[in-house]
Amino acid sequence: MKLHEQELRFVYGYVLNELIAENRNIYCLEADLSKASGTNPMVLGQFPNNFINVGVAEANMIGVAAGLASEGKIPFCATFCCFATRRVYDQITLSVAYADLNVKIIGTGPGITQGPNGGTHMCFQDLAIMRAMPNMQIFSPCDAYELRQVLRYMAANKGGMYLQLLRQQLPAVFDETYQFQPNHAVTLIKGNDVTLISTGYTTHFAFKSAQELQQEGIRVELLHCPCVKPFPIEDIVSSVRKTGVVVTVENQNIIGGLGGAVCETLSEHYPVKVKRLGIPDRFGEIATEEYLFEKHGFSTEHIKNACRESVKHKN
Amino acid sequence: MFQEILREFNNDEADRFAAELRYVITDMICRAGSGHLGGALSLVEIMVTLYWRSMNIDPKNPKWEERDRLVLSKGHAAPVLYAVLAYRGFFPKRLLGTLNADGTTLPSHADARTVPGIDMTTGSLGQGLSAASGMALVAKKDGRKHHVFCIIGDGESNEGQNWEAALFAPHWKLDNLIAVTDYNKLQIDGFTADILDLEPLADKWKAFGWNVLEMYGHCWEDIYETIIRAKVLKNGKPAMIIAHTVKAKDCPLIENQAGSHNIKIPDQKTHDQYLTSLTGGVFPLPY
Repeated sequence: MKLHEQELRFVYGYVLNELIAENRNIYCLEADLSKASGTNPMVLGQFPNNFINVGVAEANMIGVAAGLASEGKIPFCATFCCFATRRVYDQITLSVAYADLNVKIIGTGPGITQGPNGGTHMCFQDLAIMRAMPNMQIFSPCDAYELRQVLRYMAANKGGMYLQLLRQQLPAVFDETYQFQPNHAVTLIKGNDVTLISTGYTTHFAFKSAQELQQEGIRVELLHCPCVKPFPIEDIVSSVRKTGVVVTVENQNIIGGLGGAVCETLSEHYPVKVKRLGIPDRFGEIATEEYLFEKHGFSTEHIKNACRESVKHKN
Repeated sequence: MFQEILREFNNDEADRFAAELRYVITDMICRAGSGHLGGALSLVEIMVTLYWRSMNIDPKNPKWEERDRLVLSKGHAAPVLYAVLAYRGFFPKRLLGTLNADGTTLPSHADARTVPGIDMTTGSLGQGLSAASGMALVAKKDGRKHHVFCIIGDGESNEGQNWEAALFAPHWKLDNLIAVTDYNKLQIDGFTADILDLEPLADKWKAFGWNVLEMYGHCWEDIYETIIRAKVLKNGKPAMIIAHTVKAKDCPLIENQAGSHNIKIPDQKTHDQYLTSLTGGVFPLPY
């Protein structure tokens, strides 16, 4: 079986089973969305004793997880991004981050990938609000191999952590040899003209954009950030020293997420012009991804245009 | 000292000790300039009974695996928990004088990160019963015999998360979980009956599948025996003990008044008024 041929939710359940097999202190918590998360029947079938479905009660899920963690267990709690963060923000803040407990939170279906569930379920602010929480690490892996490595990192290291889990099958960016390095960006393409920074889902579109721009002679340096917090400041500054201009693209509101982190970082360390692509401070709506990319301005064409413009107006 | 007395439990000595704790807690909060006095004083007899008679604990080994746990979900009552833990020997009593001071390890709300003997950090109401349920579930899964106690407030019972946990604990047959509602009938803005009525409270918990017991939270025998009854039930249901208490008990300045929730102490004169008003008398301070 090749991991990248599977849906990423399958990979989540599959890797949780690997982790539980190695360490029975790892628990899978769900709030009635276990099929959507990929843990039912995967984890439920293999490790029923390590599977806790709390029902449609996300606040209680976080609290129960805090109780488990205080007893030395390592709970992985999954639900849609909107419920995993904004609905239980105070529970995570107090019972996990402030209390400094070893709880892992998995937000599934980030941003526009909530598709048919529509605007009510599209969370565009989870990176922003979770970034603003002390004692919280944040990850947004882009493919099956990176997801597996990040999950292994989360299980092996203490502390509150949040991961954006894409549920669909996606092409491989990496392979079995990939090693996740926290605090580092991954340079997917080297270049000198413009630094393009992406995370999670948008890395696939950024990659395509950068490849196509190469044909036009624009040499894009593409940095993928699997780790949104702590943020890979040094990697970004060192790229920008070379290129002098930045475009960011994310499956989130452009306020406070990846683009926000880049602007905060560069304004302190190496101020340059940054163009942020993503959702321009709007709510979602029920629509195809193509429609939403187009409407909000972060399709491959928009990314290419932003890079072209940035290079053209570079001083 | 008191531990020895409790081998031969004596109501008069216990009353004297409760009065001493009330004096110390009141002084701690007055020194800090403000604090949640009412809901701390309503819990004195319950906390003393738990930590001296009911709970299996070892002050020299606060993280002992076999110990009984306690989650003070109404985290603002932390001063009574701090005082009880210090007098029980978990940490030096002199630290009690540092409540809320700059750089203190004893903040206004219960903090498991900094205080030996505290099992869960609390402060945002409604979250503790979930955590206690998680702890009780771990004990069940790991085949351990200890109990998990959780104290929630009556005002706190307005929070919806309690009722998520109320569904969860019976579903998972957590008969090692014993919750106590400090039912002093007051919340910040007034009487619970006027702000958001909880009645019929016992029927609500029964309907959620809990064993429900009631006790007078200032009567030593009643508290002790009710906790024993809750412990031995072991019928697959968690237990909720509704403790009828008096907010700011034995502090006539504010007893049974909404204003007792969080008192302000602007000057030494007010501080002295609080101390001298306590009906249990004057005691030496340990700091």
